[in-house]
Amino acid sequence: MSDTDDELVRVTINGKEIRAPGNLSTIQALWFAGYPRVKGVGCLEGVCGSCRILVRRKDSPEVAMALGCQTLIEDGMEVHFLVFPTPTHHAYQLDEIANSWEVQAQFHRIFPEAVHCRHCHGCDVSCPKGIEVEKGVELAGKGRFREASELFVACVMCDFCMTACPEHIAPNHLGLFARRVTAYFHIRPSNLISRLEELRRNEHPIRTD
Amino acid sequence: MAQGTPYAAALAAYRPQAQRPLAPQTLSGEALLKAFHPDYYAGSLAPLQVGPNQGEMCHRQLAQVLQADARIDEADLAGAPVLETGILVIGGGGAGCAAALAARQAGAKVTLATKLRLGDSNTVMAEGGIQASIAPADTPQQHYDDTMRAGRRLGDKRLVARMAMEAPEVIRWLIQQGMQFDLDQYGDILLRRAGGASAERVAYYRDYTGLEMMRVLRESVLNSNIQVLDYSPAVELLSNELGHCAGAVLSSLKDCSYIMVKAKSVILATGGIGRMHINGFPTSNHFGATGDGLVLAYRLGAKLVDLDSYQYHPSGLAYPQHLAGSLITEGVRSAGAYLLNARGERFIDELKPRDQVSSAILRECAEGRGVAAGEAQGIWLDTPGVELRQPGLLKERFPKLVDLGKKSDVNPLTTPLLIYPTLHYQNGGARIDEHGRSTAPGLYCVGEVSGGIHGKNRLMGNSLMDIICFGRRAGAHAAERCHLMSHKRVSLEHLSRVRRELALAELPLDIKGPMLFPECAKPEKDSDYDGLRRNRGPEG
Ligand SMILES: Cc1cc2nc3c(=O)[nH]c(=O)nc-3n(C[C@H](O)[C@H](O)[C@H](O)COP(=O)(O)OP(=O)(O)OC[C@H]3O[C@@H](n4cnc5c(N)ncnc54)[C@H](O)[C@@H]3O)c2cc1C
Ligand code: SF4
Ligand code: SF4
Repeated sequence: MSDTDDELVRVTINGKEIRAPGNLSTIQALWFAGYPRVKGVGCLEGVCGSCRILVRRKDSPEVAMALGCQTLIEDGMEVHFLVFPTPTHHAYQLDEIANSWEVQAQFHRIFPEAVHCRHCHGCDVSCPKGIEVEKGVELAGKGRFREASELFVACVMCDFCMTACPEHIAPNHLGLFARRVTAYFHIRPSNLISRLEELRRNEHPIRTD
Repeated sequence: MAQGTPYAAALAAYRPQAQRPLAPQTLSGEALLKAFHPDYYAGSLAPLQVGPNQGEMCHRQLAQVLQADARIDEADLAGAPVLETGILVIGGGGAGCAAALAARQAGAKVTLATKLRLGDSNTVMAEGGIQASIAPADTPQQHYDDTMRAGRRLGDKRLVARMAMEAPEVIRWLIQQGMQFDLDQYGDILLRRAGGASAERVAYYRDYTGLEMMRVLRESVLNSNIQVLDYSPAVELLSNELGHCAGAVLSSLKDCSYIMVKAKSVILATGGIGRMHINGFPTSNHFGATGDGLVLAYRLGAKLVDLDSYQYHPSGLAYPQHLAGSLITEGVRSAGAYLLNARGERFIDELKPRDQVSSAILRECAEGRGVAAGEAQGIWLDTPGVELRQPGLLKERFPKLVDLGKKSDVNPLTTPLLIYPTLHYQNGGARIDEHGRSTAPGLYCVGEVSGGIHGKNRLMGNSLMDIICFGRRAGAHAAERCHLMSHKRVSLEHLSRVRRELALAELPLDIKGPMLFPECAKPEKDSDYDGLRRNRGPEG
């Protein structure tokens, strides 16, 4: 594993020409080339959603959105690190929703734009996790929150779909809303509840000797 | 080149097989640790020369930053804007968010400052799950006993008992924040067994437990009228005329300027230390895990415990190189995956406590029974064996593992993964009481930065539990006391004492702490930084 010059690939990152070994991610390549980047760096494992990049591969007109730590550099690749969009204006507290019968009504109050979805696929195309975002928006709009919630299992809240959406729907926050109400109203495990009851009745004192 | 069978040859010799016997063990657990665990590496410890733990042994690399000079002095603060708040939480992982939410819930004015984006943390990366004794066959007592035993009886009994008792309530709280758990067909929480535990006690959500927890807590914080200052690492704590902690100095990464935050209490939740690469090991930790909180707390006089004890997770990916250190959750071993040396032999009970399993892997490699891949070495995690015994399980339960396989061009369903221990967790930290109070007045420490719960070894799932349990307790306790206190004059007075001590001990003053960022990336040099985001919510 030597780094002789002919094994290095050439990439352009934020306008800077960089040469680095091809088995490095875009972030590792920057560090390798001596650019001490911290902005947008996070877990380095593709779950924190911080290292948002635009990528154009050699000889391709297409610009894709991706996570920087998950993207290996290729010869001729162009990369641009993005900043986060302004935070979503959708604000809510779960305990303001009186009960599970109210969720649909509250959903449309909190996410009024959801019904305006143009089915432009902007969100789907931009999602680095391959989530069916658009379908999730549609399901939530119909009140099928549990189904919608299943679609967003792998969402890392990178906000790409939010940036892409022309209707300001904030699909990822909508997806997380679907997930949260599902837990808040419907997860009632009997094993947990039984244990809580036993604890309430002081049936489990702990001996510490 | 590492020694051992070359990767290609070892792989060619590998045959998937459903069952394999375990070879008889020649070394006791204790002897195995002494011979192979990195905590026992000769010469890795040094006595601390200054501060509250003076005279006690500490890992050399940590000692260096604990005894480093501060990054700032009074002159740097001239003209710095001052912000007043009730409770300042430092760190935006699980512990920090839980503390902030509990404090806000109790009516306090809360500011949360974090180094990177809110949620960039070790929490978001956790996969395996969270421990709570909720199985009918399990009890809080067993949770207590297992935790104490794994920690070699060195854990703080009161803290461990508190955690074991409150764990089920913590799970309820998380559900009420909107966190999902994997359930069986009747809606009961599914549980799996952690290595070293006597019962099935780890609740989880796929292998995304930390991601699920973190995105829910982040959303909750952003919707809760908590002021969030991201991209603002704390570089020093502030003290009042009594020497109590009374705020912190933040460095905004946006323009490298300083902000002083005056607070009635400070809750430090800065997480772990992996990116210090103790003993030169790769790490599973996030980019910001540089042990800052330990340094800040120590300078203000907080006592630390177990500074010689780190957890090396047995299953860090060893190959390919660009993913080295990435974690494979212990859940895979709980689900029955064997560990095999280059000859295809099992060499340790895979569900022994982590320190023993890691030591056994290091032994196999040291004694030439490992697999060598360029500079890396390791042993096999036998995922194809699991697939043979329980077809479909890996795909269904461990989507992240399958994904990791894709990235490394290895299909874990048919090919074993090469693994090697990775620096994972700091067992010790700031000594705390049941409310998360450190020994420095006014300063709470919660989460991985605190110590005393896990003794010298932590069970899978106990960290996610401890961060939420004590995070909430600290937040509530600090909020309760908030109205009793008023803002006082704040200063960096404690630094004069620190510098005097350093000079007396003839320690170098050219090393600065806290580290803030790993060596490969220093914010001072990041020329095109532009990052501060404002919080949303009613106060905007
Ligand atoms: C890959 C991985 C998998 C894991 N899996 C499990 C598991 O399955 N079960 C389990 O129980 N535990 C697991 N752990 C351990 C557990 O995730 C962590 O110990 C725990 O999440 C720590 O929480 P925390 O809130 O204390 O710290 P973190 O979540 O790391 O948060 C600390 C925060 O403080 C910020 N910070 C740091 N320094 C500063 C500063 N100077 N100023 C301001 N902010 C700062 C950081 O940026 C970060 O946001 C895992 C850890 C890793 C790395
Ligand atoms: S759904 Fe949106 S926020 Fe979630 S991963 Fe996909 S693009 Fe990112
Ligand atoms: S980007 Fe917005 S408008 Fe377009 S399909 Fe997705 S949710 Fe609908």
